[in-house]
Amino acid sequence: MQKMFKVMLALVAVCLLAVPALAADTLKVGVQAPITGSYANEGQGIENGVRLLAEQINGKGGVLGKQIEVIVCDDQGTAMAAAICAKDLVNKGVSMVIGSYTSTCAEAAQKTYFNAGILQTSDGTADALTEKGYWTFLRNSFPNSAEAGFVAEYLVNVKKYQRIVVISDFSTYADGLANAAEAAIKKLGGNVVSRDKIKADSQNFTPVLTNIKSKNPDAIFFAGYYSDGGQLRAQQVALGIKADFYGGDANDNPDFVKLAGSAAAGAFIVNVPSPDVLPYDIAKSFIADYQKKYGEMPPSIWGLMNIDGMRAIIHAMEQNNSFDTKKAADFLHNMTEPLPGITGPIAFAKDGNRKGGAYVVKKIQADGSYSNEYVQ
Amino acid sequence: MDIFLQQLANGLTIGSMFALVALGYTMVYGVMKLINFAHGDMVAASAFVGLTIYTQVMGQATSLLAVITIFLLSAVCMACVGVILERVAYRPLRKAPRLSAVVSALGASLVIQNGIMLIWGPRMRIFPELVPQVYWDLGGVVISLIQVIILTLSLVLMVSLYLFVEKTRMGAAIRASSIDQDAARLMGINVNSIIALIFIIGSSLGAVGGLFIGLYYRGITFNMGWQYGLYAFIAAILGGIGNIPGAMLGGMLLGLFNAFIAGYVSSTWADAFTFILLILILIVRPTGILGERVAEKV
Repeated sequence: MQKMFKVMLALVAVCLLAVPALAADTLKVGVQAPITGSYANEGQGIENGVRLLAEQINGKGGVLGKQIEVIVCDDQGTAMAAAICAKDLVNKGVSMVIGSYTSTCAEAAQKTYFNAGILQTSDGTADALTEKGYWTFLRNSFPNSAEAGFVAEYLVNVKKYQRIVVISDFSTYADGLANAAEAAIKKLGGNVVSRDKIKADSQNFTPVLTNIKSKNPDAIFFAGYYSDGGQLRAQQVALGIKADFYGGDANDNPDFVKLAGSAAAGAFIVNVPSPDVLPYDIAKSFIADYQKKYGEMPPSIWGLMNIDGMRAIIHAMEQNNSFDTKKAADFLHNMTEPLPGITGPIAFAKDGNRKGGAYVVKKIQADGSYSNEYVQ
Repeated sequence: MDIFLQQLANGLTIGSMFALVALGYTMVYGVMKLINFAHGDMVAASAFVGLTIYTQVMGQATSLLAVITIFLLSAVCMACVGVILERVAYRPLRKAPRLSAVVSALGASLVIQNGIMLIWGPRMRIFPELVPQVYWDLGGVVISLIQVIILTLSLVLMVSLYLFVEKTRMGAAIRASSIDQDAARLMGINVNSIIALIFIIGSSLGAVGGLFIGLYYRGITFNMGWQYGLYAFIAAILGGIGNIPGAMLGGMLLGLFNAFIAGYVSSTWADAFTFILLILILIVRPTGILGERVAEKV
């Protein structure tokens, strides 16, 4: 009996070893993104972008002679599903993971990828993501602290608001951004009259807004996601709160305007420049290809940031002439010349943060389009 | 005082939506002694059906007549779905142990939820502004047109349901079936058609509730039925499950309670306090606020 058990164990071990060996014919790229759930719009944008880029690279002969195989896992925007996705993608033998969209999901999966030596690139902006010292994590967006500093500077010194309210939900990203913004506003001598939290997806924000109304604010900074931001803005206007509404970067999605409806006009969004105004040639051609393939614009800048992360990793592998993830990470951490990207030049600091980044404040017009109010 | 009145208005609005949905739970429970877990997802489905009727059938018309048609057509569609649901998922299990029917209800809930996802996709869909954004500022308390519509229409529907059940022959048949199905059958009542009627009424009220959610919050997702279903279920238990005025009272109380907790304590704790309230009610009055103690049939 014991002998049979040993034989079976050996067989299992052989099978486990054989899987990565067989799989070595392609370069496996994992996508961990919210394909369903509240952020499905963004998650599908990431998946579509990755598939398009993989198709383009495969058409040119692949990476170092290997074709790219895309493996998608839906993390539904929840930490629990993200942790399962991480294990699943590791088991499937991917060498890099693109995503996730939310910091919460990126964070829940980080350690699994680090332990497996798999490169991960995410647009998650929570500062906590790069504070753990994982060499496998590359942030393709700019951290919350940078945005918080910009927001504070703009609200306090440029617009000179006297009574500012900061709202977030409970996610890693939103809470982190709101706390950083609150601290930065206070540091500049601004007056934060209230720091409130809402429950994402709960739809009914009127009770919280009613309390805020009694504090008579002149500006509201919301550091959450568009699916809540649009409704928050609509309910703010419905309650007759006159304060100017500023949405953080994750409100930069067409659904924000649709959800807020006629209340959207006059709201402000703080973010890096939108995809349609990206001045780079590579951006124009990629967005044109995207529209041709999917019949719509990329939902936001975030999917493109992730694509830039993927391009950077593949660039590193090609430069090193090796699929070794550690070597690729070393290359990216020590890049002297930035890689021209869709969302601007890409280069990484030693801690995995993307270098550079400038913000704009966009005002939503009556027809739902944006106009640049202030450019950093 | 302004804040108090504003929270009162907020609470009554969401309370009446909970109450409409809770009626579906309580009526089915009253007659069949079954918690229809699929009801919350039917509510979500009705919002999507309403949106499709608006875009496909009505050609995006925004007149008052169009809005009324959307309400009527969605209610009819959901009533049909409700009858089919009862025929397929519950009637074959009428004689089976109660647990089988509950499991079947949970299964139906998953089927409907995933069905919505497959038909309309996993993305959040957005309702048009069918009701004009009109607000009245009454000395610091702001009331919107949509809130007035929701509150009035819910009250009208609930009062007419109450009168229907209490004053008509059909209503008497419903009450008789809920007390004792076998005795009702002996009296010449067709219990099967009464149950079908219950599903028609419950589902169409749920459809109105679903459309209110869509019109008021504008964003609808395929999995939102769970959240509203849970609240409505608590409302039904709060008022006394199986009791129609109880569901209305429970819904209103839950809406108010939620608004006041979120307003005066913290929105973080609103859900926790709601469940604590449920536990307390179940300990102090296991049959709910208006529920009567019924002798257990052995």
